[in-house]
Amino acid sequence: MTGEEDDGRPSDVTGSGPCETRLWRSLEELAGSEEVRRFGGAEFPEAATPETIDRRALLNLMTASLALGGLTGCAVNRQPWGAPLLAQPRLAPQHTPGVPLIFATSLELDGLGRGVLVRSHDGRPVKIDGNPLHPASLGGTDVFMQAEVLSLYDPDRSTVPMAGGMRRSWDDASLYVTQLSHQFQANAGRGLHILLEPCASPTRDRLIALARQTLPEARWYFHAPLTDGNTHVATARVFGRPLDPVLDLMQADVILTLGGDPLGAGAGHIRYAADYAQRRHARDRPLPRLYSAETSPSLTGARADHRLALPPREIEALARQVLDLVRNAAPPPAAPQSLAAIIAGDLRRAGAGGLVVPGREQAADVQAIAHAINVELGAVNRTVRYVEPIIQASTDQSSSLLALAEAIGRGVVDTLLILGGNPAYDAPGDLEFADLIGRVPSSLHLSYYFDETSRVCRWHLPARHALESWGDLRAFDGTAGLRQPVTVPLVEAMTAEDVLAQLVGEAGDGHAHVQATWREVWGEEFDARWPTALEDGVIAGSAAPAASLAAPVGWSPPPAGPPVAAGYSMVVFAPDPSVWDGRFANNGWLQELPKPFTKQVWGNAALMASDTASALGLATGDIATFTHGGRTIEAPIWIMPGHAPDAVTMTLGYGRRAAGRQGSQRGFDAYPLRSSRELWALAGVTIAANGRRDALISTQHHHGMEGRDIVRVVPATGPVNWPVEPRRSMYPDYVYDGNAWGMSIDLDLCLGCNACVVACQAENNVPIVGPDEVAQGREMHWLRIDRYFAGVPDAPETYFQPVPCMHCEKAPCEVVCPVNATVHSSEGLNEMTYNRCVGTRTCSNNCPYKVRRFNWFNYNQKPPAAPDAVQNPEVTVRWRGVVEKCTYCVHRISTARIAAKMEGRPIRDGEVMTACQQACPTRAIVFGNINDPDSAVYRCRENPRSYELLKDLNTRPRTTYLARIAGLGRGSVGGTR
Amino acid sequence: MTDSRVERSATEAARIPLSPRYGRGWLAALIASVLMVLVLAYVIAELVVAGIGIWGTNIPFVWGFDLSNYVWWIGLANGCSLFAAILVLRRHSLRTAINRFAEGLALFAVICAAIFPLFHLGRPWLFYWTFPYPATFQVWPQFRSPLTWDFWAIITHLIVTTMLWYVGLLPDLATLRDRARTPVARRVFGSFALGWRSSVRHWAFHQRAYRLVAIAVIPLALVIQSTVAFEFAITLVPSWHETRLPLHYVVSGLESGLGLILLAAAALRGSLRGIDRFIDDEDMNLIGKLLLANALVACLVYAGEVASALLAGPLMVEAILNRLVGHYAGLYWGAIALSVLLPQALWSSRMRRSNPAGILIGLGVIAGIWLDRLSIIVGGMQRDYLPSTWRIYAPTQPEWALFLGSIGLFAAMFLLLMRFLPVVSMSETRHDEYREASS
Repeated sequence: MTGEEDDGRPSDVTGSGPCETRLWRSLEELAGSEEVRRFGGAEFPEAATPETIDRRALLNLMTASLALGGLTGCAVNRQPWGAPLLAQPRLAPQHTPGVPLIFATSLELDGLGRGVLVRSHDGRPVKIDGNPLHPASLGGTDVFMQAEVLSLYDPDRSTVPMAGGMRRSWDDASLYVTQLSHQFQANAGRGLHILLEPCASPTRDRLIALARQTLPEARWYFHAPLTDGNTHVATARVFGRPLDPVLDLMQADVILTLGGDPLGAGAGHIRYAADYAQRRHARDRPLPRLYSAETSPSLTGARADHRLALPPREIEALARQVLDLVRNAAPPPAAPQSLAAIIAGDLRRAGAGGLVVPGREQAADVQAIAHAINVELGAVNRTVRYVEPIIQASTDQSSSLLALAEAIGRGVVDTLLILGGNPAYDAPGDLEFADLIGRVPSSLHLSYYFDETSRVCRWHLPARHALESWGDLRAFDGTAGLRQPVTVPLVEAMTAEDVLAQLVGEAGDGHAHVQATWREVWGEEFDARWPTALEDGVIAGSAAPAASLAAPVGWSPPPAGPPVAAGYSMVVFAPDPSVWDGRFANNGWLQELPKPFTKQVWGNAALMASDTASALGLATGDIATFTHGGRTIEAPIWIMPGHAPDAVTMTLGYGRRAAGRQGSQRGFDAYPLRSSRELWALAGVTIAANGRRDALISTQHHHGMEGRDIVRVVPATGPVNWPVEPRRSMYPDYVYDGNAWGMSIDLDLCLGCNACVVACQAENNVPIVGPDEVAQGREMHWLRIDRYFAGVPDAPETYFQPVPCMHCEKAPCEVVCPVNATVHSSEGLNEMTYNRCVGTRTCSNNCPYKVRRFNWFNYNQKPPAAPDAVQNPEVTVRWRGVVEKCTYCVHRISTARIAAKMEGRPIRDGEVMTACQQACPTRAIVFGNINDPDSAVYRCRENPRSYELLKDLNTRPRTTYLARIAGLGRGSVGGTR
Repeated sequence: MTDSRVERSATEAARIPLSPRYGRGWLAALIASVLMVLVLAYVIAELVVAGIGIWGTNIPFVWGFDLSNYVWWIGLANGCSLFAAILVLRRHSLRTAINRFAEGLALFAVICAAIFPLFHLGRPWLFYWTFPYPATFQVWPQFRSPLTWDFWAIITHLIVTTMLWYVGLLPDLATLRDRARTPVARRVFGSFALGWRSSVRHWAFHQRAYRLVAIAVIPLALVIQSTVAFEFAITLVPSWHETRLPLHYVVSGLESGLGLILLAAAALRGSLRGIDRFIDDEDMNLIGKLLLANALVACLVYAGEVASALLAGPLMVEAILNRLVGHYAGLYWGAIALSVLLPQALWSSRMRRSNPAGILIGLGVIAGIWLDRLSIIVGGMQRDYLPSTWRIYAPTQPEWALFLGSIGLFAAMFLLLMRFLPVVSMSETRHDEYREASS
């Protein structure tokens, strides 16, 4: 692609990725073009004289005119019946209708940013992928990033301000906020209490700092159900001041995780997963050894070489032992060692390559012990670096939710502004926060949905979605990324920054606030750096540097408390892998996403070990009553292989009452049982069966491989010798002269995180079917992840296997279709022609992998179907009565083929990325041309670990697997497991 | 007896089933079956409007009641027409008694069977795409697919069964035309009688044609039933992928056909006065013995099913053991009990001659074969290659309604047959009685 040819494209277009990626700097640049200005001038004459109108109004007009003027692809027309067929869309320059645009922005989870690229078709974002330039993502995503695009179009989002349960206009709402602003500017903020979610946003921090200055007597509180101060308390104990750990798993030879789930959830997990995968792949370094001690099975534990299922107090005991043993290097005795000794020995041998990672739900002591071990090993600034807290919101006790509850109790709160979050739902039950809010004379809630908190607050303002807002966010390592809107606001709404700005009287809109922040930081260089930052989505070099630590003084933990009597009385709270803390409850894709271990959908359950359940006389599906401190909840239980004894894990985020149509009344609410003093692990809970049962819905009912050759595991060392059988077929083989597409999935890298499943659903318009249909066995996911347990039921090995269509060379489905609806393409794909399918479903019978899905109903029109706006226009939306399956993202292949043809070159390796491949954080899925010996997928197939699923059926699948490498066993002493 | 008296008495007797007043029993039965037909119509309309989702099918059980009922009906049809054809060719005396209604039952069973493959499609209005017509989009059916073969099998079956029944019916239609009392009846019967004049030439052609069709039926019935079995045997589902499956379907289909014949014969004897002159104890004896013999062969076939699966690979072993003791074990053992053990009662000649026993045993055998179909199709699918896909299938109300509605349709057609057409072959009966009398 040369800059000489005048094909209408600018010469500074960057090209990468599946479609012609032109990273747009902003909608504003688009809007600033001459044509749109002209059009805008015609539509809005007052805008033609810009000096008479302020910036915000102009931007409003311009966004309106953009919507009218071309990004939607239709011409504006005075006729009442809409745009006539023959009118040409008014083109924004450099934009061809039908060719998608890609914007870089940042999405947030738990206050930390993750960089994404959002693909939008004619102004409508339809797909989110990771931003390869952003350190928190490196191109990978998790399920929440993928599903945000559906939340954007949620029909249950709040669209109008409400006051006292009645709809009000924005004029009234603005009036109220202005009045508040005047009132509190006059009395320096006395009586004003503001609750926010902790967020690592420089702009928000700047506005908060400004507000603290302007309103010195206002009180600020920060609360999110999953982030609390234990991390900072722990680092303060060891280092003297609160710090955040940032891991470098590339350098880690021996890793011990104490709870948490660094690879699967939490801050930076996408990056950590990518690093861990890269380290496992690195040929010049030995395989890392991962020990995982955890209460409830997690993705990290499934990946670990050795996993210990321990209740919280035993994790603490283990940590103490390891710390002792690491510090006091006793020579190993000849007798068989305890596990703690083995772990300590490994860590000591690894030295600076050792790493202990505590989960944030662990007690402060445990986390401090972990950091102390890191210091002892010399791992600081090698496998882990400690940085100044990234979320600068204060985490001390005076800013916690507890303090706010106390203040309300004392009656000093006149006005409570809750800017984001849902404390009436997710505050710990003992605070009874919903009632407390009711006691405040004047309260306002800014939120995306009219949720539980909005219902008890006096005023409710609709919040903007992240994809409609301006902002900035820091990632887990401090790197700042900008957030820009990728669509015109679909609903008139505000962001938290807008409200804060109004309070302090700073004029301008979101764009202005963000620019003001960075103008302060960059000063002179602003004009040079701003466009690059917007285009890249990340501000290079803004990672937080390692904090300078004083010479480490060995910190010792306080003596352990009295041992807790054994009993099934410990309840551990964990975020839900599908709805997180409840904010995604109304997202149909996430509700229908099978959780990695239980494969449960549309609900949650209390997980416990089988011993615990049998002692209580419970089976999976029985409802039990959990009582603590006068609070009682009922929850169905689920017997979880590998769960620690004497503990029950409850996932948060379900049981919502006002989440919208998909999220309300699903599962059970664990928040009422939560205590503000013991947020994560609650001792002394009484559990009793209550005789009722709940129908729990899951997508996988059999968990063993039944002795079959499904997931292969190879030893870490030694050659792989699998018999090579002669391959015979009565039919002649297909011959591929050009491209021959193939895929390889590395089971050693796959964590089972489900990102590929949601990515496939988003890209290919896979419908949501709802709980009743899933209960019948009709989930539509083209790509599913099978989870198998192997070994001892109480401490099983867990294997995840993504199963897309195998695109068999000798496809059994092609032979049995009576109408030729499924045929073989010239590039090796097994193609499904929806228009020809009459729905006999015999292809599904003959598929041994059962990857074919059938549209039993018109799922795309039947609730809870996703709204039409989120459908990807490049992929057909299927009607009922037809079979569908994974197509190797044939539309992406087509796009790449067209682009390559226009430029007269072959398709490059890596130019076509299937949606699942692009989403995977560990790069477990590799796709490409197997006819090309230089391609990555060819190398994967040549790998001795490569095998085909159900090989003896001679279907000759194009999707092959790389066998998982067996765990390394415990230590180098005492070898096998 | 003189010829004329033979003729008169035979024809008189043959009129009994066509008496103008049929009694309340028949009317009640007809009303009940018409109601079931209405239920059938409703549930088919619901299916076409709402979608296959109203059934209990899922992945991997994409076929449940729909194909099981189809195979069952086709087995019934095959059994009946095969049996009737053999009797025609052997000129066995039994044919006079049962051929007419057996062929009728076969035809009605094919019609009922055809409902299921048509409406189990996701888009049933496009069923004609399995037919190789020159479409503008130039796509032909896929000829390697057993479902394409089955499309032709059903069409062939329909045509051949109709022909067997109609050709045999021709002389009787002519008789009814000649004896018709109203001009409408005369015209209707006349047009269907195709101008039969009862001349020697017509008779010669008729006998040749009848035997030709009967000869055609035998291999076609075997091939058609095998084609239905191929829909399963061609697939790689462990439980279905057996070379012996067509044999299994043919044998058990024949048994179900015989059971239906026994049921219908006993029911006719029990409900129509005077018909036992034509369907006498000897005939029932024979039918009973044939059904018993077939049940023993079926027992051998079932044993062979288990033995061949146990001797095959571990996947087959697991599949057959699951069918025997797993979630759907009731289907398997019910099939054994009803289709193998129950007909053993026919060892007793008293059972063979008794009408109630005939009805019960006939019903039992038919139900047993239905359970066997379900056990193969549903029970067999439950254990295939990837354990992550194993789950349960349970039929829903619309599926039951479709099943019972098809039975209602079958019953309605049979009741109308009884009313308007002779249930025993008048011409054959006269022929045989004449021969007996003159020998």
